[in-house]
Amino acid sequence: MRVSKNSINSMRQAISEALSLIDYSFNDNIKSVVIKPNLCYYWDYSTGQTTDPRFVAALIDLIRKKISPEPNISIVESDASAMKCAHVFRMLGYEKLSNDYDVELVNLSKDKSETIATTAGDLRVNVSLPQTIAKADLKLNVTKIKYTMEPIKITCALKNIFGCNPYPRKFRYHPKLEETIVAINKIMRFDLNIIDGNIVSGIQPRRIGLVMASTDPVAIDAAASEIAGVNPRTIRYLQIAKEEGLGKTSFIPKGVPIGYFKSVYPRKTINKKLMSKAYSLVTRIGLSRKIGLG
Amino acid sequence: MSPIKLGVIGLGYIGQIHLRHIKRILNAQVVAAADLSKKALTKARNNGVENTYSNYEQLLENPEIDAVIIALPTHLHLECALRAAEAKKHIFLEKPIARNVKEAKEIVSAAYKNSVKLMVGYPLRFNTEFRELKQRISKGEFGDVEIAYATYISSGPFFHRAEGYAPVPVPEWWFNKELTGGGVLIDLGSHIINLLRWYFGEITDIRAQLGYRFNMDVEDSAMCLARFQNGTRAAVNVGWFSQQYQLKVDLLGSVKHATLSHVPSNPISTVIQMLTSGTSRFYFPHKSELQYFVDCLIRELNPEPSGQDGLKDLETITKAYENQIHLE
Repeated sequence: MRVSKNSINSMRQAISEALSLIDYSFNDNIKSVVIKPNLCYYWDYSTGQTTDPRFVAALIDLIRKKISPEPNISIVESDASAMKCAHVFRMLGYEKLSNDYDVELVNLSKDKSETIATTAGDLRVNVSLPQTIAKADLKLNVTKIKYTMEPIKITCALKNIFGCNPYPRKFRYHPKLEETIVAINKIMRFDLNIIDGNIVSGIQPRRIGLVMASTDPVAIDAAASEIAGVNPRTIRYLQIAKEEGLGKTSFIPKGVPIGYFKSVYPRKTINKKLMSKAYSLVTRIGLSRKIGLG
Repeated sequence: MSPIKLGVIGLGYIGQIHLRHIKRILNAQVVAAADLSKKALTKARNNGVENTYSNYEQLLENPEIDAVIIALPTHLHLECALRAAEAKKHIFLEKPIARNVKEAKEIVSAAYKNSVKLMVGYPLRFNTEFRELKQRISKGEFGDVEIAYATYISSGPFFHRAEGYAPVPVPEWWFNKELTGGGVLIDLGSHIINLLRWYFGEITDIRAQLGYRFNMDVEDSAMCLARFQNGTRAAVNVGWFSQQYQLKVDLLGSVKHATLSHVPSNPISTVIQMLTSGTSRFYFPHKSELQYFVDCLIRELNPEPSGQDGLKDLETITKAYENQIHLE
């Protein structure tokens, strides 16, 4: 769906229409809701890199209208190598949202968690499942579409849930990042994935007004990849996720034709792709450190 | 002539840049480095620094060292500079000189009492184009500069998470007003205030309108209006709010106008420049300021920007904080 105006009302309407298109209805017995936005770094919604707090506000309005005003709603994120929740909640407007909408902000890195052993592809890994996520009746993944480093290529629904991993030094997973993303998604299965694509980052931020929803995180990621001009078949973690039963890479688009969003998404140019590969190579061979860039 | 022996205190972002440059300047040798990070010290040792310390007081006890480069967080400037002055080490101190005027005065006074040279790091003063602009102003090429616009906008401590680059952690002290002494006005504003004071002389009046887009304790943008003793007026815009870097000065004179920008090179040019000269065009002024500092020590000259300059900048910024304009 498209957000027609840059306002909470317009966002609420677009989310509502997107949920209608996929015939999604909220269960009446929900007591606790977890919302996982993408708050990767200290950049606000205008960059297209982080979930707009107004989009989350619109979703909270909708939950309270469709379910009841009662459910406890928690917005969750975890500390990362370069980002601390305490600062990001405040800097990106989530502290204000918490006060205005009476919702809780939870730093999953400080939440109690239990360790669960799982596998993904050839990886055997222990995943920490935070209590707030484990106990939630409804888990909502409110993500962005972004280009990211090779070989991941695209950050969307599955990668956003990687951010629920409470361990802050996430770079330690990078050698097996694709399998780890899938493993964490196997342990933390979210009920609904919604893309806040009102502003997308691409090679530059652009307001395209996209709202997309699906209960299948693999399908929504495949659709998002196509919009961003990346062949989903070249994204290895989507294939692993499919093999592990997290969803399908095929999808049936509904609503505004996907071709429209493909045409307006700020896609990578050949120059940018080459630069990205060159930087990746420079980093891999350690040249960046030698010349003082790393 | 024996080289000036330098110690680098603080191996964070700017300390690493200085360390890299010292190896490439004339008549200087880096003999020691101090930092709390073992990783940073190991890196320094691997780069040929003989003596590394986790405590800068031990570095200051090293009799071999003539001068120190202090590249610590702002709240640590005072104590470290006082200790360095007492140890009779000449000091190159990163800007801002201190968190507040009181601390800055103590630093300047300690350097004077102990007869050590004190220079504050303002690399814009060593940028070739900005230096040429100073000469052109002095020669009267622009007539009377009636209005100056200076803009310094960047991501500040919140480094650009550019596509393909890893995100950079922000040290905790940046989030604490007690430790920084202020926000972007003291961080980037000090560069601009120093540059404009160099061009036009003392500021007689300054007012500021501060912005808080990111809800921090400190301002992340500031618009200042200033009047100089010579009659020039300036509008200064500084901010940490943008992914795009902009450093630009416009001079509107009674005869002629000028526009000058300091622009980072693209990544490929940067890599080529680093490989061929050990620094990039963007960081060349940092290298030049260290060379100048070392030359001053050899020739027993007082380096500029001096501690007194750093103090004046801080007094001006303090005035701006006191004279805030509040917009409805």
